[in-house]
Amino acid sequence: MATNIMDRRRINGPARSVEPLYGPGAAGADPFAGGRADGRGLDQVRAIYMKTGPLSGGQHEPSESAASGSAYYEQGRVRVSCAVYGPRQGRRSNARMGVFDCEFRYAPFACSWKRRSHVRGADEKEISLMLEHAVAPAIRLEAYPKACIDAFVTVIESDGKAATIAAAINCISAALADAGIEMYDSVAACSMGLRGAQWVADCCQAEEDAAPCSMLIAHMPSADEVTYILQHGKATPEQTDQAVQTCTNMCTRVYAVICRCLQASLE
Amino acid sequence: MASLILSPAEQDYITRGVEKGLRADGRGGLDRREVSLQTNMISQANGSARCRTGHLGVGTDVLVGVKAEVRTWTAGEPEDRGAVECSVECSPSAAQKFEGRGADDLNVELTQLLDRILGGPQSGIDLGALCIIPRQAYWVLHVDALVLDVKGSIADTLVWAARAALLSTRLPRVVVESVADEDGNMQSEFDVVDDPEDQVPLQGAEDLPLAVTFSQIGKRYVVDASEQEDAVTQARVTVAVSPQMDICAIQKGAALRGFPPSLLTEILHSARTVAREELLRFKDLFAAASAKSASGADEPSTASTFIGTF
Repeated sequence: MATNIMDRRRINGPARSVEPLYGPGAAGADPFAGGRADGRGLDQVRAIYMKTGPLSGGQHEPSESAASGSAYYEQGRVRVSCAVYGPRQGRRSNARMGVFDCEFRYAPFACSWKRRSHVRGADEKEISLMLEHAVAPAIRLEAYPKACIDAFVTVIESDGKAATIAAAINCISAALADAGIEMYDSVAACSMGLRGAQWVADCCQAEEDAAPCSMLIAHMPSADEVTYILQHGKATPEQTDQAVQTCTNMCTRVYAVICRCLQASLE
Repeated sequence: MASLILSPAEQDYITRGVEKGLRADGRGGLDRREVSLQTNMISQANGSARCRTGHLGVGTDVLVGVKAEVRTWTAGEPEDRGAVECSVECSPSAAQKFEGRGADDLNVELTQLLDRILGGPQSGIDLGALCIIPRQAYWVLHVDALVLDVKGSIADTLVWAARAALLSTRLPRVVVESVADEDGNMQSEFDVVDDPEDQVPLQGAEDLPLAVTFSQIGKRYVVDASEQEDAVTQARVTVAVSPQMDICAIQKGAALRGFPPSLLTEILHSARTVAREELLRFKDLFAAASAKSASGADEPSTASTFIGTF
Protein backbone atom coordinates (compact mmCIF):
# COMPACT_ATOMS: atom_id res chain seq x y z
CA MET A 1 0.00 0.00 0.00
CA ALA A 2 1.42 3.31 -1.11
CA THR A 3 -0.18 5.20 1.76
CA ASN A 4 1.78 3.21 4.35
CA ILE A 5 5.18 4.31 3.05
CA MET A 6 6.35 7.32 5.05
CA ASP A 7 8.11 10.05 3.13
CA ARG A 8 10.82 11.05 5.64
CA ARG A 9 12.45 13.74 3.51
CA ARG A 10 9.57 16.13 3.66
CA ILE A 11 7.44 17.46 6.46
CA ASN A 12 4.52 15.13 6.87
CA GLY A 13 1.06 16.25 7.84
CA PRO A 14 -0.55 15.00 11.02
CA ALA A 15 -1.88 11.44 10.93
CA ARG A 16 -5.41 12.62 11.59
CA SER A 17 -6.98 15.69 10.13
CA VAL A 18 -9.98 17.55 11.41
CA GLU A 19 -12.67 19.30 9.39
CA PRO A 20 -12.47 23.08 9.74
CA LEU A 21 -15.25 24.69 11.78
CA TYR A 22 -17.15 27.28 9.84
CA GLY A 23 -18.71 30.30 11.47
CA PRO A 24 -22.46 30.50 11.97
CA GLY A 25 -24.44 31.00 8.80
CA ALA A 26 -21.93 29.37 6.49
CA ALA A 27 -23.13 25.81 6.89
CA GLY A 28 -26.62 24.56 7.57
CA ALA A 29 -28.22 27.89 6.76
CA ASP A 30 -31.72 27.66 5.34
CA PRO A 31 -31.40 28.68 1.68
CA PHE A 32 -35.10 29.54 1.72
CA ALA A 33 -34.91 31.96 4.64
CA GLY A 34 -36.20 35.31 3.49
CA GLY A 35 -37.35 34.40 0.01
CA ARG A 36 -35.09 32.89 -2.62
CA ALA A 37 -31.43 33.76 -2.76
CA ASP A 38 -31.66 35.17 -6.27
CA GLY A 39 -34.87 37.09 -5.59
CA ARG A 40 -37.04 34.94 -7.83
CA GLY A 41 -40.69 34.19 -7.17
CA LEU A 42 -41.64 30.67 -6.09
CA ASP A 43 -42.98 29.75 -9.51
CA GLN A 44 -40.35 31.57 -11.48
CA VAL A 45 -37.92 29.71 -13.72
CA ARG A 46 -34.41 31.12 -14.12
CA ALA A 47 -33.82 33.20 -17.21
CA ILE A 48 -33.46 31.07 -20.33
CA TYR A 49 -31.08 31.72 -23.18
CA MET A 50 -31.01 29.40 -26.15
CA LYS A 51 -29.29 29.28 -29.49
CA THR A 52 -29.57 26.67 -32.19
CA GLY A 53 -26.81 25.63 -34.53
CA PRO A 54 -23.65 26.70 -32.67
CA LEU A 55 -21.85 23.48 -33.68
CA SER A 56 -23.18 22.81 -37.17
CA GLY A 57 -20.29 24.57 -38.85
CA GLY A 58 -22.55 26.89 -40.82
CA GLN A 59 -25.71 25.69 -42.49
CA HIS A 60 -24.41 26.53 -45.96
CA GLU A 61 -21.53 24.07 -46.05
CA PRO A 62 -22.68 20.81 -44.59
CA SER A 63 -19.66 18.56 -44.08
CA GLU A 64 -19.28 14.90 -43.16
CA SER A 65 -18.06 15.54 -39.66
CA ALA A 66 -20.36 18.35 -38.60
CA ALA A 67 -23.41 17.62 -36.52
CA SER A 68 -26.79 17.58 -38.27
CA GLY A 69 -28.13 19.90 -35.64
CA SER A 70 -27.04 21.44 -32.38
CA ALA A 71 -28.19 23.71 -29.61
CA TYR A 72 -26.84 25.58 -26.63
CA TYR A 73 -29.12 26.11 -23.66
CA GLU A 74 -28.65 28.20 -20.59
CA GLN A 75 -30.95 28.49 -17.62
CA GLY A 76 -29.40 30.60 -14.92
CA ARG A 77 -26.07 28.95 -14.19
CA VAL A 78 -27.03 25.67 -15.87
CA ARG A 79 -25.27 25.50 -19.22
CA VAL A 80 -25.81 22.61 -21.59
CA SER A 81 -24.86 21.97 -25.18
CA CYS A 82 -26.15 19.24 -27.45
CA ALA A 83 -25.22 17.88 -30.87
CA VAL A 84 -27.49 15.65 -32.91
CA TYR A 85 -26.23 13.29 -35.60
CA GLY A 86 -28.58 11.52 -37.91
CA PRO A 87 -30.65 10.02 -39.23
CA ARG A 88 -27.75 7.76 -40.15
CA GLN A 89 -27.05 4.08 -40.36
CA GLY A 90 -26.75 2.69 -36.86
CA ARG A 91 -25.39 -0.40 -35.19
CA ARG A 92 -28.59 -1.04 -33.23
CA SER A 93 -30.88 -0.70 -36.19
CA ASN A 94 -34.47 -1.84 -36.26
CA ALA A 95 -36.21 -2.68 -39.53
CA ARG A 96 -39.52 -1.11 -38.48
CA MET A 97 -38.54 1.91 -36.45
CA GLY A 98 -35.63 4.24 -36.02
CA VAL A 99 -33.57 4.18 -32.85
CA PHE A 100 -32.90 7.23 -30.71
CA ASP A 101 -29.72 7.10 -28.66
CA CYS A 102 -28.53 9.65 -26.20
CA GLU A 103 -25.25 10.16 -24.43
CA PHE A 104 -25.17 12.49 -21.47
CA ARG A 105 -21.85 13.68 -20.07
CA TYR A 106 -20.83 16.13 -17.42
CA ALA A 107 -17.71 18.11 -18.26
CA PRO A 108 -15.00 17.36 -15.65
CA PHE A 109 -15.46 20.88 -14.29
CA ALA A 110 -19.25 20.97 -14.46
CA CYS A 111 -20.03 20.39 -10.80
CA SER A 112 -19.14 22.75 -8.03
CA TRP A 113 -18.26 20.21 -5.34
CA LYS A 114 -15.86 17.78 -6.97
CA ARG A 115 -14.03 17.25 -10.23
CA ARG A 116 -15.75 14.60 -12.27
CA SER A 117 -13.81 11.70 -13.64
CA HIS A 118 -13.66 11.40 -17.43
CA VAL A 119 -14.89 7.82 -17.09
CA ARG A 120 -18.65 7.66 -17.59
CA GLY A 121 -20.29 7.25 -14.20
CA ALA A 122 -23.43 5.32 -13.31
CA ASP A 123 -25.43 8.53 -12.88
CA GLU A 124 -24.46 9.69 -16.36
CA LYS A 125 -25.63 6.38 -17.79
CA GLU A 126 -28.89 6.69 -15.90
CA ILE A 127 -29.47 10.25 -17.06
CA SER A 128 -28.72 9.18 -20.65
CA LEU A 129 -31.50 6.60 -20.35
CA MET A 130 -33.85 9.14 -18.80
CA LEU A 131 -33.23 11.56 -21.65
CA GLU A 132 -33.91 8.83 -24.20
CA HIS A 133 -37.18 7.98 -22.48
CA ALA A 134 -38.14 11.64 -22.24
CA VAL A 135 -37.40 12.71 -25.80
CA ALA A 136 -38.04 9.56 -27.90
CA PRO A 137 -41.87 9.81 -27.62
CA ALA A 138 -41.67 13.13 -29.48
CA ILE A 139 -39.71 11.79 -32.45
CA ARG A 140 -41.50 10.17 -35.39
CA LEU A 141 -39.27 7.10 -35.20
CA GLU A 142 -41.50 5.17 -37.61
CA ALA A 143 -40.44 7.70 -40.28
CA TYR A 144 -36.82 6.51 -39.94
CA PRO A 145 -36.72 2.74 -40.33
CA LYS A 146 -33.27 1.14 -40.03
CA ALA A 147 -31.81 4.51 -39.03
CA CYS A 148 -30.26 5.78 -35.86
CA ILE A 149 -30.43 9.26 -34.37
CA ASP A 150 -27.79 10.13 -31.81
CA ALA A 151 -27.79 13.01 -29.39
CA PHE A 152 -24.69 13.94 -27.43
CA VAL A 153 -25.25 16.20 -24.46
CA THR A 154 -22.45 17.92 -22.59
CA VAL A 155 -23.09 19.76 -19.36
CA ILE A 156 -20.74 22.69 -19.18
CA GLU A 157 -22.01 23.91 -15.86
CA SER A 158 -24.46 22.26 -13.51
CA ASP A 159 -26.53 23.87 -10.78
CA GLY A 160 -29.11 21.49 -9.38
CA LYS A 161 -29.34 17.92 -10.71
CA ALA A 162 -33.04 17.93 -11.65
CA ALA A 163 -32.68 21.37 -13.26
CA THR A 164 -29.71 20.11 -15.30
CA ILE A 165 -31.69 17.13 -16.59
CA ALA A 166 -34.60 19.42 -17.48
CA ALA A 167 -32.20 21.74 -19.32
CA ALA A 168 -30.72 18.77 -21.19
CA ILE A 169 -34.19 17.68 -22.35
CA ASN A 170 -34.98 21.20 -23.60
CA CYS A 171 -31.60 21.41 -25.31
CA ILE A 172 -32.00 18.04 -27.09
CA SER A 173 -35.44 18.90 -28.37
CA ALA A 174 -34.13 22.19 -29.80
CA ALA A 175 -31.14 20.43 -31.39
CA LEU A 176 -33.46 17.81 -32.94
CA ALA A 177 -35.57 20.57 -34.43
CA ASP A 178 -32.39 22.22 -35.72
CA ALA A 179 -31.37 18.92 -37.36
CA GLY A 180 -34.73 18.80 -39.13
CA ILE A 181 -35.81 15.53 -37.49
CA GLU A 182 -39.56 14.91 -37.82
CA MET A 183 -41.25 15.35 -34.46
CA TYR A 184 -44.78 15.38 -33.11
CA ASP A 185 -43.98 18.28 -30.83
CA SER A 186 -41.09 19.81 -28.92
CA VAL A 187 -40.54 18.49 -25.43
CA ALA A 188 -40.26 21.05 -22.68
CA ALA A 189 -39.11 20.05 -19.22
CA CYS A 190 -39.16 21.70 -15.84
CA SER A 191 -38.12 20.71 -12.33
CA MET A 192 -39.44 21.64 -8.90
CA GLY A 193 -38.42 21.12 -5.30
CA LEU A 194 -40.55 20.85 -2.19
CA ARG A 195 -40.11 23.56 0.40
CA GLY A 196 -42.21 22.91 3.47
CA ALA A 197 -45.58 22.23 1.90
CA GLN A 198 -44.93 24.38 -1.12
CA TRP A 199 -43.40 23.61 -4.49
CA VAL A 200 -40.61 25.85 -5.69
CA ALA A 201 -39.79 25.98 -9.39
CA ASP A 202 -36.39 25.32 -10.92
CA CYS A 203 -34.26 24.77 -7.80
CA CYS A 204 -30.55 25.60 -7.81
CA GLN A 205 -28.11 23.24 -6.08
CA ALA A 206 -28.41 24.80 -2.61
CA GLU A 207 -32.20 24.75 -2.77
CA GLU A 208 -32.23 21.19 -4.08
CA ASP A 209 -29.99 19.96 -1.25
CA ALA A 210 -32.44 21.38 1.27
CA ALA A 211 -35.57 20.06 -0.45
CA PRO A 212 -36.89 16.69 0.77
CA CYS A 213 -38.49 15.93 -2.56
CA SER A 214 -37.92 16.93 -6.15
CA MET A 215 -40.10 16.50 -9.22
CA LEU A 216 -39.12 16.54 -12.87
CA ILE A 217 -41.64 16.54 -15.68
CA ALA A 218 -41.18 16.59 -19.45
CA HIS A 219 -44.26 17.56 -21.37
CA MET A 220 -45.35 18.01 -24.98
CA PRO A 221 -47.92 20.82 -24.65
CA SER A 222 -49.49 20.63 -28.13
CA ALA A 223 -49.80 16.85 -28.08
CA ASP A 224 -50.71 17.07 -24.36
CA GLU A 225 -48.55 14.16 -23.26
CA VAL A 226 -46.27 13.84 -20.26
CA THR A 227 -43.25 12.10 -21.74
CA TYR A 228 -41.29 11.83 -18.53
CA ILE A 229 -41.96 12.02 -14.84
CA LEU A 230 -39.54 11.51 -11.99
CA GLN A 231 -40.16 12.07 -8.32
CA HIS A 232 -37.24 11.72 -5.97
CA GLY A 233 -38.15 11.83 -2.29
CA LYS A 234 -41.33 11.57 -0.31
CA ALA A 235 -44.47 13.68 -0.76
CA THR A 236 -48.11 13.27 0.13
CA PRO A 237 -50.44 12.26 -2.73
CA GLU A 238 -52.00 15.75 -2.70
CA GLN A 239 -48.57 17.34 -3.05
CA THR A 240 -47.70 15.00 -5.92
CA ASP A 241 -50.97 15.79 -7.71
CA GLN A 242 -50.33 19.47 -7.26
CA ALA A 243 -46.76 19.09 -8.51
CA VAL A 244 -47.89 17.31 -11.68
CA GLN A 245 -50.30 20.15 -12.42
CA THR A 246 -47.99 23.04 -11.62
CA CYS A 247 -45.02 21.47 -13.34
CA THR A 248 -46.97 20.76 -16.54
CA ASN A 249 -48.11 24.37 -16.60
CA MET A 250 -44.56 25.54 -16.15
CA CYS A 251 -43.41 23.28 -18.98
CA THR A 252 -45.89 25.07 -21.22
CA ARG A 253 -44.23 28.38 -20.34
CA VAL A 254 -40.75 26.98 -21.06
CA TYR A 255 -42.16 25.57 -24.31
CA ALA A 256 -43.17 29.06 -25.43
CA VAL A 257 -39.59 30.24 -24.99
CA ILE A 258 -38.19 27.28 -26.94
CA CYS A 259 -40.68 27.83 -29.77
CA ARG A 260 -39.94 31.54 -29.98
CA CYS A 261 -36.23 30.81 -30.17
CA LEU A 262 -36.71 28.17 -32.87
CA GLN A 263 -38.83 30.58 -34.89
CA ALA A 264 -36.19 33.29 -34.52
CA SER A 265 -33.51 30.88 -35.75
CA LEU A 266 -35.39 30.47 -39.04
CA GLU A 267 -35.57 34.17 -39.78
CA MET B 1 -37.54 -4.66 -22.35
CA ALA B 2 -39.66 -6.26 -24.99
CA SER B 3 -37.76 -9.22 -26.32
CA LEU B 4 -40.87 -11.04 -27.36
CA ILE B 5 -41.97 -10.43 -30.94
CA LEU B 6 -45.73 -10.50 -31.38
CA SER B 7 -47.66 -10.55 -34.61
CA PRO B 8 -49.81 -7.48 -35.37
CA ALA B 9 -52.91 -9.61 -34.78
CA GLU B 10 -51.73 -10.61 -31.31
CA GLN B 11 -50.80 -7.03 -30.49
CA ASP B 12 -54.22 -5.84 -31.55
CA TYR B 13 -55.91 -8.59 -29.51
CA ILE B 14 -54.08 -7.55 -26.33
CA THR B 15 -54.53 -3.82 -26.90
CA ARG B 16 -58.25 -3.98 -27.58
CA GLY B 17 -58.73 -6.39 -24.70
CA VAL B 18 -57.06 -3.99 -22.28
CA GLU B 19 -59.16 -1.10 -23.57
CA LYS B 20 -62.28 -3.17 -22.81
CA GLY B 21 -60.93 -4.19 -19.39
CA LEU B 22 -60.15 -7.78 -20.35
CA ARG B 23 -56.81 -9.52 -20.15
CA ALA B 24 -55.60 -12.76 -21.70
CA ASP B 25 -55.13 -14.51 -18.36
CA GLY B 26 -58.51 -13.45 -16.99
CA ARG B 27 -57.27 -10.76 -14.62
CA GLY B 28 -58.85 -7.34 -14.20
CA GLY B 29 -56.84 -4.23 -15.06
CA LEU B 30 -55.65 -3.64 -11.50
CA ASP B 31 -55.08 -7.28 -10.47
CA ARG B 32 -51.67 -8.76 -9.88
CA ARG B 33 -50.61 -12.30 -10.56
CA GLU B 34 -49.91 -14.80 -7.80
CA VAL B 35 -46.87 -13.99 -5.72
CA SER B 36 -44.76 -16.42 -3.76
CA LEU B 37 -42.30 -15.25 -1.17
CA GLN B 38 -39.51 -16.99 0.67
CA THR B 39 -37.26 -15.37 3.23
CA ASN B 40 -33.95 -16.01 4.99
CA MET B 41 -32.67 -18.76 2.77
CA ILE B 42 -29.19 -17.31 2.28
CA SER B 43 -27.26 -18.05 5.44
CA GLN B 44 -24.32 -15.80 4.46
CA ALA B 45 -26.45 -12.67 4.24
CA ASN B 46 -27.95 -10.58 7.04
CA GLY B 47 -31.31 -10.78 5.32
CA SER B 48 -32.56 -12.34 2.14
CA ALA B 49 -35.72 -12.99 0.18
CA ARG B 50 -36.83 -14.48 -3.07
CA CYS B 51 -39.98 -13.31 -4.74
CA ARG B 52 -41.72 -14.79 -7.72
CA THR B 53 -44.65 -13.31 -9.62
CA GLY B 54 -46.60 -15.56 -11.95
CA HIS B 55 -48.91 -18.53 -12.28
CA LEU B 56 -47.84 -22.16 -11.94
CA GLY B 57 -44.26 -21.48 -11.04
CA VAL B 58 -43.49 -19.65 -14.27
CA GLY B 59 -42.80 -16.01 -13.74
CA THR B 60 -40.49 -13.17 -12.85
CA ASP B 61 -38.09 -14.34 -10.21
CA VAL B 62 -35.92 -12.04 -8.10
CA LEU B 63 -33.48 -12.97 -5.37
CA VAL B 64 -32.29 -10.27 -2.97
CA GLY B 65 -29.57 -10.49 -0.37
CA VAL B 66 -28.82 -7.79 2.19
CA LYS B 67 -25.32 -7.65 3.61
CA ALA B 68 -24.35 -5.16 6.27
CA GLU B 69 -20.89 -3.75 6.55
CA VAL B 70 -19.24 -1.32 8.95
CA ARG B 71 -17.70 1.59 7.10
CA THR B 72 -15.32 4.24 8.39
CA TRP B 73 -16.63 7.74 8.03
CA THR B 74 -14.72 10.02 5.68
CA ALA B 75 -15.06 13.78 5.37
CA GLY B 76 -17.89 14.94 3.13
CA GLU B 77 -20.25 12.11 4.01
CA PRO B 78 -23.32 12.70 6.20
CA GLU B 79 -22.15 12.74 9.81
CA ASP B 80 -24.81 10.88 11.71
CA ARG B 81 -26.42 8.54 9.22
CA GLY B 82 -25.94 5.10 7.79
CA ALA B 83 -26.40 4.27 4.13
CA VAL B 84 -28.28 1.88 1.89
CA GLU B 85 -26.66 0.93 -1.40
CA CYS B 86 -28.47 -1.00 -4.08
CA SER B 87 -27.41 -2.98 -7.07
CA VAL B 88 -29.46 -5.02 -9.50
CA GLU B 89 -28.16 -7.55 -11.95
CA CYS B 90 -30.18 -9.31 -14.59
CA SER B 91 -28.82 -12.79 -14.99
CA PRO B 92 -28.38 -14.26 -18.47
CA SER B 93 -30.44 -17.19 -17.17
CA ALA B 94 -33.48 -14.92 -17.50
CA ALA B 95 -33.11 -14.09 -21.18
CA GLN B 96 -30.52 -14.66 -23.81
CA LYS B 97 -30.22 -10.98 -24.59
CA PHE B 98 -28.85 -10.38 -21.07
CA GLU B 99 -25.68 -12.19 -22.08
CA GLY B 100 -22.51 -10.13 -22.04
CA ARG B 101 -23.31 -6.43 -21.87
CA GLY B 102 -26.88 -6.95 -23.07
CA ALA B 103 -28.42 -6.24 -19.69
CA ASP B 104 -26.42 -3.06 -19.00
CA ASP B 105 -29.19 -0.58 -19.70
CA LEU B 106 -31.76 -2.55 -17.75
CA ASN B 107 -29.36 -3.03 -14.83
CA VAL B 108 -28.73 0.70 -14.64
CA GLU B 109 -32.44 1.52 -14.84
CA LEU B 110 -33.43 -0.98 -12.15
CA THR B 111 -30.52 -0.10 -9.89
CA GLN B 112 -31.42 3.57 -9.99
CA LEU B 113 -35.08 2.76 -9.41
CA LEU B 114 -34.28 0.68 -6.33
CA ASP B 115 -31.86 3.34 -5.13
CA ARG B 116 -34.50 6.00 -5.62
CA ILE B 117 -36.93 4.01 -3.47
CA LEU B 118 -34.58 2.69 -0.76
CA GLY B 119 -31.53 4.95 -0.84
CA GLY B 120 -32.69 7.89 1.25
CA PRO B 121 -34.99 9.01 4.03
CA GLN B 122 -37.99 8.34 1.75
CA SER B 123 -37.52 4.59 2.30
CA GLY B 124 -38.70 4.83 5.90
CA ILE B 125 -35.62 3.00 7.22
CA ASP B 126 -34.21 4.88 10.19
CA LEU B 127 -30.84 5.84 8.73
CA GLY B 128 -29.93 7.60 12.00
CA ALA B 129 -30.11 4.23 13.77
CA LEU B 130 -27.56 2.84 11.31
CA CYS B 131 -24.98 5.31 12.57
CA ILE B 132 -22.64 3.66 15.09
CA ILE B 133 -20.50 6.63 16.18
CA PRO B 134 -21.10 10.00 14.50
CA ARG B 135 -18.17 11.05 12.32
CA GLN B 136 -16.47 7.69 12.89
CA ALA B 137 -18.34 4.61 11.78
CA TYR B 138 -21.68 3.62 10.32
CA TRP B 139 -23.50 0.65 8.85
CA VAL B 140 -23.87 0.28 5.11
CA LEU B 141 -26.63 -2.03 3.91
CA HIS B 142 -25.81 -3.52 0.53
CA VAL B 143 -29.05 -4.56 -1.14
CA ASP B 144 -28.00 -6.82 -3.99
CA ALA B 145 -30.66 -8.16 -6.30
CA LEU B 146 -30.36 -10.88 -8.88
CA VAL B 147 -33.08 -11.17 -11.50
CA LEU B 148 -33.26 -14.88 -12.30
CA ASP B 149 -36.23 -14.98 -14.62
CA VAL B 150 -38.18 -12.32 -16.48
CA LYS B 151 -41.85 -12.69 -17.36
CA GLY B 152 -42.99 -9.09 -17.17
CA SER B 153 -43.18 -6.56 -14.32
CA ILE B 154 -39.63 -6.79 -12.97
CA ALA B 155 -39.78 -3.60 -10.93
CA ASP B 156 -42.70 -4.67 -8.71
CA THR B 157 -41.20 -8.08 -7.98
CA LEU B 158 -37.85 -6.46 -7.31
CA VAL B 159 -39.26 -4.08 -4.71
CA TRP B 160 -41.31 -6.88 -3.12
CA ALA B 161 -38.17 -8.98 -2.74
CA ALA B 162 -36.10 -6.04 -1.47
CA ARG B 163 -38.77 -5.12 1.08
CA ALA B 164 -38.98 -8.71 2.33
CA ALA B 165 -35.20 -8.98 2.49
CA LEU B 166 -34.85 -5.76 4.49
CA LEU B 167 -37.69 -6.78 6.82
CA SER B 168 -35.92 -10.07 7.49
CA THR B 169 -32.55 -8.36 7.99
CA ARG B 170 -30.97 -8.73 11.41
CA LEU B 171 -27.94 -6.63 12.31
CA PRO B 172 -25.40 -7.71 14.92
CA ARG B 173 -25.69 -5.65 18.09
CA VAL B 174 -23.01 -3.01 18.54
CA VAL B 175 -21.66 -1.96 21.94
CA VAL B 176 -20.26 1.57 22.07
CA GLU B 177 -18.04 2.57 24.97
CA SER B 178 -16.01 5.64 25.83
CA VAL B 179 -12.34 5.05 26.51
CA ALA B 180 -9.71 7.59 27.55
CA ASP B 181 -6.65 7.62 25.31
CA GLU B 182 -3.09 8.41 26.49
CA ASP B 183 -3.73 12.18 26.44
CA GLY B 184 -6.80 11.80 28.61
CA ASN B 185 -9.26 12.63 25.82
CA MET B 186 -12.41 10.61 25.73
CA GLN B 187 -12.68 8.47 22.62
CA SER B 188 -15.61 6.36 21.53
CA GLU B 189 -14.97 2.79 20.56
CA PHE B 190 -17.31 0.11 19.43
CA ASP B 191 -17.50 -3.64 19.42
CA VAL B 192 -19.64 -5.78 17.12
CA VAL B 193 -21.20 -8.60 19.13
CA ASP B 194 -20.71 -11.77 17.12
CA ASP B 195 -23.37 -13.86 18.85
CA PRO B 196 -25.82 -14.94 16.12
CA GLU B 197 -28.65 -14.96 18.68
CA ASP B 198 -27.97 -11.38 19.72
CA GLN B 199 -29.16 -9.49 16.66
CA VAL B 200 -31.55 -6.62 16.13
CA PRO B 201 -34.03 -5.97 13.30
CA LEU B 202 -33.81 -2.82 11.19
CA GLN B 203 -35.63 0.14 12.63
CA GLY B 204 -38.35 1.53 10.41
CA ALA B 205 -38.36 -1.42 8.00
CA GLU B 206 -42.16 -1.67 8.39
CA ASP B 207 -42.43 1.74 6.72
CA LEU B 208 -40.72 0.56 3.52
CA PRO B 209 -42.74 1.31 0.40
CA LEU B 210 -44.03 -1.10 -2.21
CA ALA B 211 -43.90 -0.30 -5.91
CA VAL B 212 -46.74 -0.54 -8.38
CA THR B 213 -45.95 -0.39 -12.09
CA PHE B 214 -48.59 0.77 -14.52
CA SER B 215 -48.27 -0.08 -18.19
CA GLN B 216 -50.16 1.96 -20.72
CA ILE B 217 -51.58 -0.21 -23.48
CA GLY B 218 -53.79 1.52 -26.03
CA LYS B 219 -55.83 4.13 -24.19
CA ARG B 220 -55.91 2.29 -20.87
CA TYR B 221 -53.41 0.94 -18.39
CA VAL B 222 -52.83 -2.28 -16.46
CA VAL B 223 -50.93 -3.30 -13.35
CA ASP B 224 -48.35 -6.12 -13.41
CA ALA B 225 -48.09 -6.56 -17.18
CA SER B 226 -47.32 -10.07 -18.36
CA GLU B 227 -44.56 -10.76 -20.87
CA GLN B 228 -46.95 -10.42 -23.81
CA GLU B 229 -48.45 -7.23 -22.43
CA ASP B 230 -44.95 -5.86 -21.85
CA ALA B 231 -44.26 -6.29 -25.56
CA VAL B 232 -47.11 -3.93 -26.50
CA THR B 233 -46.62 -1.46 -23.65
CA GLN B 234 -46.21 2.10 -24.89
CA ALA B 235 -45.37 3.78 -21.62
CA ARG B 236 -44.68 2.53 -18.14
CA VAL B 237 -44.56 4.32 -14.82
CA THR B 238 -43.51 2.92 -11.45
CA VAL B 239 -44.98 4.51 -8.33
CA ALA B 240 -43.65 3.65 -4.87
CA VAL B 241 -46.20 4.04 -2.07
CA SER B 242 -45.41 3.83 1.65
CA PRO B 243 -47.76 2.23 4.22
CA GLN B 244 -48.72 5.79 5.25
CA MET B 245 -49.94 6.23 1.65
CA ASP B 246 -47.26 8.79 0.86
CA ILE B 247 -45.72 8.67 -2.58
CA CYS B 248 -42.01 7.92 -2.20
CA ALA B 249 -40.86 7.82 -5.82
CA ILE B 250 -42.17 8.00 -9.35
CA GLN B 251 -40.16 6.93 -12.35
CA LYS B 252 -41.23 6.53 -15.93
CA GLY B 253 -39.83 3.84 -18.18
CA ALA B 254 -40.36 2.66 -21.78
CA ALA B 255 -39.66 5.13 -24.50
CA LEU B 256 -42.47 4.80 -27.01
CA ARG B 257 -45.02 7.29 -25.76
CA GLY B 258 -46.05 9.60 -22.97
CA PHE B 259 -49.08 9.77 -20.72
CA PRO B 260 -51.83 12.36 -21.09
CA PRO B 261 -51.78 14.37 -17.82
CA SER B 262 -55.33 13.29 -16.94
CA LEU B 263 -54.37 9.62 -17.22
CA LEU B 264 -51.34 10.28 -15.05
CA THR B 265 -53.47 11.78 -12.29
CA GLU B 266 -55.78 8.77 -12.52
CA ILE B 267 -52.80 6.43 -12.28
CA LEU B 268 -51.51 8.19 -9.17
CA HIS B 269 -54.92 7.65 -7.55
CA SER B 270 -55.10 3.98 -8.53
CA ALA B 271 -51.54 3.55 -7.24
CA ARG B 272 -52.77 4.15 -3.71
CA THR B 273 -55.73 1.75 -4.01
CA VAL B 274 -53.54 -0.98 -5.45
CA ALA B 275 -50.73 -0.37 -2.95
CA ARG B 276 -53.15 -0.61 -0.01
CA GLU B 277 -54.23 -4.12 -1.11
CA GLU B 278 -50.69 -5.11 -1.99
CA LEU B 279 -49.37 -4.10 1.43
CA LEU B 280 -51.98 -6.29 3.14
CA ARG B 281 -51.12 -9.17 0.85
CA PHE B 282 -47.43 -8.65 1.52
CA LYS B 283 -48.02 -8.75 5.26
CA ASP B 284 -49.75 -12.15 5.06
CA LEU B 285 -47.22 -13.67 2.69
CA PHE B 286 -44.29 -12.33 4.68
CA ALA B 287 -45.68 -13.67 7.95
CA ALA B 288 -46.15 -17.09 6.35
CA ALA B 289 -42.67 -17.03 4.82
CA SER B 290 -40.96 -16.03 8.07
CA ALA B 291 -42.84 -18.71 10.00
CA LYS B 292 -41.70 -21.26 7.46
CA SER B 293 -38.08 -20.16 7.52
CA ALA B 294 -38.07 -20.10 11.34
CA SER B 295 -39.39 -23.67 11.57
CA GLY B 296 -37.02 -24.99 8.94
CA ALA B 297 -33.96 -23.20 10.29
CA ASP B 298 -32.18 -26.41 11.29
CA GLU B 299 -32.55 -28.16 7.97
CA PRO B 300 -29.46 -28.32 5.81
CA SER B 301 -29.82 -25.86 2.98
CA THR B 302 -28.98 -27.90 -0.10
CA ALA B 303 -29.77 -27.08 -3.68
CA SER B 304 -32.74 -29.42 -3.72
CA THR B 305 -34.39 -27.88 -0.65
CA PHE B 306 -33.74 -24.42 -2.09
CA ILE B 307 -35.62 -25.22 -5.27
CA GLY B 308 -38.07 -27.63 -3.67
CA THR B 309 -39.62 -25.08 -1.34
CA PHE B 310 -40.83 -23.12 -4.33
